[in-house]
Amino acid sequence: MYKTIKMEKIFRFDSIRNNDLLIVAFLIFGLLCLASLGFFIAGKLNPDAKLDELKARTKSWWVMSLIFIGATLINSTISYIAMGMLSFVAFRELYSVLGFRESDRRAIFWAFIAIPIQYYLAYIGWYGAFIIFIPIVMFLFLPLRLVLKGDTSGIIKSMATLQWILMLTVFGISHMAYLLSLHEIKGFSSGGRGLLLFLVFMTEINDVMQFTWGKLLGRNKIIPKVSPNKTWEGFIGGLISTTVIGYFLRFLTPLSVPQVVFVSFMIGLSGFVGDIVMSSIKRDIGVKDMGTSIPGHGGILDRIDSLAYTAPVFFHLVYYIAY
Amino acid sequence: MKIIVGVKFDSAKFLLNEKQFIIVANHNSHLDTMAIMASLPSKIIHKVKPVAAADYFGKTKLKAKLSNYLINTLLIQRKRDKEHPENDPIDQMIAALDSGFSLIIFPEGTRGEPEVQQSLKPGIGYVLTKRPQLKYVPAYMKGMGKAMPKDDNLIIPFNSSLTYGLPTQIISSNIIDVLKQIEGDLNTLKEV
Repeated sequence: MYKTIKMEKIFRFDSIRNNDLLIVAFLIFGLLCLASLGFFIAGKLNPDAKLDELKARTKSWWVMSLIFIGATLINSTISYIAMGMLSFVAFRELYSVLGFRESDRRAIFWAFIAIPIQYYLAYIGWYGAFIIFIPIVMFLFLPLRLVLKGDTSGIIKSMATLQWILMLTVFGISHMAYLLSLHEIKGFSSGGRGLLLFLVFMTEINDVMQFTWGKLLGRNKIIPKVSPNKTWEGFIGGLISTTVIGYFLRFLTPLSVPQVVFVSFMIGLSGFVGDIVMSSIKRDIGVKDMGTSIPGHGGILDRIDSLAYTAPVFFHLVYYIAY
Repeated sequence: MKIIVGVKFDSAKFLLNEKQFIIVANHNSHLDTMAIMASLPSKIIHKVKPVAAADYFGKTKLKAKLSNYLINTLLIQRKRDKEHPENDPIDQMIAALDSGFSLIIFPEGTRGEPEVQQSLKPGIGYVLTKRPQLKYVPAYMKGMGKAMPKDDNLIIPFNSSLTYGLPTQIISSNIIDVLKQIEGDLNTLKEV
């Protein structure tokens, strides 16, 4: 008896019995099949069309969703580790391009140490410590480490940038992990994994929708200086589609209809903000993509830039409303 | 290596087609050797010897044993020694090549400042002019000096990369020309 309980704890295959999560998983794969098929046919009909980037993107979507769904649905302990790795890679990617001083190395080392700690706090579900660890503890500690090194020229930039990278790539993303640690609510079966799936699916579909609407109807640019591809048509079209999709996926959340519409709208909005914030950084450094780790998308950061914004927004909205 | 430090490797599979080669790389960090070794196909890895300075890696017997055991190093002196040919670095390298090993050489001689390339030492030129049929493979690494610079033993992950050039034969028997050729190759890789 004991053994079976333990096995259940390690491999939470109960998700296979949980229809809500499965529906969304199938939905995601269905969408991907449709996209792959669509681009394949479009490529056959019109061989001149520039579909290579879209095809590479779709292929990467396949890999990413397989990993994500695998990590979320099968075992939630693995999900914490996987999301920690995601933060780690994103942190490394961002700080590598931002140009730190030689004397910042020790402080950067401690910032790396903060990643497992933050995810461990999410894992054990210690909300108070989780929410203050990076904004307060690391905020106070990292400058100390920089000061002890004694190199004061350019120290403000190092202090500010390091803390900002931590907030964006670790604190923001770790809210995804904390969703899994939320206590259960009666009458709401999907739990944290449902919320996580909702958040990630909505954020990514929002990116895709804004991209698609922008490509189809885009005329009036919002902020041409930061991102020439962002248009009012794409933004509003994406926002509306995301909100509508959120309405249909509300079974993944414990929210009522008006609440879920509001939350979906906020996901669309903050996803857009995250996107343009990261674009502005890329503009500043003078690169197009943050890296080359995902074919067609650029680096990890180019993909999770909007998540870094939507995760905390979504988490705190849901936490305030339902928990 | 790939996951933790974040090194992006070029595929080194093409080296399987070469019977013997000398990898010529820029040098910024202890991680350089590790990165090159990690990128090599496991089939040929035991036939490759990184060349290292005896005064640093052979300082104590334990250090020499460890580096020989772990990465199969060829320890050489920094200075030439005409009187004792068995201790002469050039002769040692040639002997290793003649017994079938491939070599990894860092012709800058020392790691130096992070991300700054120094002028090449002529040793590689001597070796290549003595065995002109051998091909050398230029390799350029970026960011390693940031991940683990000289005088610091703490490794901090940093997105870095390792790029290989094509296996090339030397075109001249003049040592200065050979060094220029190699330097040119490394600079082309740097631009990529």
